[in-house]
Amino acid sequence: MSAGAGRRGATTGSDVEVASDRHDRLARCLERARAGDHGGIDAIVNELNPLLWHVARSQTLASDEAADVVQTTWLELLRRLHDIRSPRALTAWLVSTTRREAWRVNARRRRDGAADPAGLDMVAEDAPSPDERLGADERDRALWRHYRRLDERCRALLRVVALVERPDYDDVATALEMPRGSIGPTRGRCLDKLRAMLLADPTWSAS
Amino acid sequence: MNEFLDDVDAAILGHLARLHARLDPPPADLNDRVRFAIALENIDLEVARLGEELLVGSGARAAERVSTVTFESASLTIMVTVTASAAGTVRLDGWLAPAAPLRVELRLRAGGPGGTGGGAVDGGPASGGEVLSVTADEVGRFVFDGVRPGLAQLLVHPIAGGGTTVVTPSLSL
Repeated sequence: MSAGAGRRGATTGSDVEVASDRHDRLARCLERARAGDHGGIDAIVNELNPLLWHVARSQTLASDEAADVVQTTWLELLRRLHDIRSPRALTAWLVSTTRREAWRVNARRRRDGAADPAGLDMVAEDAPSPDERLGADERDRALWRHYRRLDERCRALLRVVALVERPDYDDVATALEMPRGSIGPTRGRCLDKLRAMLLADPTWSAS
Repeated sequence: MNEFLDDVDAAILGHLARLHARLDPPPADLNDRVRFAIALENIDLEVARLGEELLVGSGARAAERVSTVTFESASLTIMVTVTASAAGTVRLDGWLAPAAPLRVELRLRAGGPGGTGGGAVDGGPASGGEVLSVTADEVGRFVFDGVRPGLAQLLVHPIAGGGTTVVTPSLSL
């Protein structure tokens, strides 16, 4: 991706094109799924499962909890398919349901007096730490360092928004119950903060 | 603040997506597990969420592993104790609350332990997945014995055919 101002128009144009391809594909799968075709819903799972995983993990769930929450969300979708008519509505519904299911798991864990699992960037205890898995790439390390300095809500928002297409930014922010305008056509507080830190860091560059 | 998104923003978000995909990817079998769990014909369903999960640890013999899982839906609680035997099969002892003599199905994914097939329709309605069926007794107790390990899902059907079926997420036996 180029950061050159001269290519802004072209980049934006192709973003929109890619997003609309994806929407068209999802719309066709949704139609098939609503007609009872299992292939349609399987294709939607393949497309959107990583997004739901990152939503669940961004809500401080452990890996196995996140996997269960994602499954529960898809099972709930079977009951709601008849209400959901557009790919945008589908993505927003899946994100907000995953978030709500994650909230239930967190609430139950806290009610039971158990400690929260390690933060969103952690995996199983025996796995290498994120720092070890990051590798030596300076640009990666810089991004991770600054991203980690954001508050939890900002980290959750940016982690999820990074996975969707631009036309869906507002829907996803709403589904995550972030304030209106936190991201969308304009840069909100979270991205603004991360951007300022990155631009002030000579080890990170946009391209 | 609140300026329009530009290419630097796109570069930041793109970089963040690639980094998360690498540092915390979904489990390799997550798509398979989801596709197995939702390959159901009956859309009139109620989801039983995973509640408590207890690993009781080894039983009397070291080869015996026991774990207890609870699933809760709006109308029903399903508690299942899973015992792995030395013979390599699994026994499920279940209880329904409130107790009722309901038909309980255990869907098993096609293929051997570990589900190496990975096909999209494993355990789907039209595939070779196996379905075991028992009826709970009047105190809500049911048993599946000699079950091969692998991916499975419980379905509890209403008494008179019609009505809502309670389904669990897939569980690894």
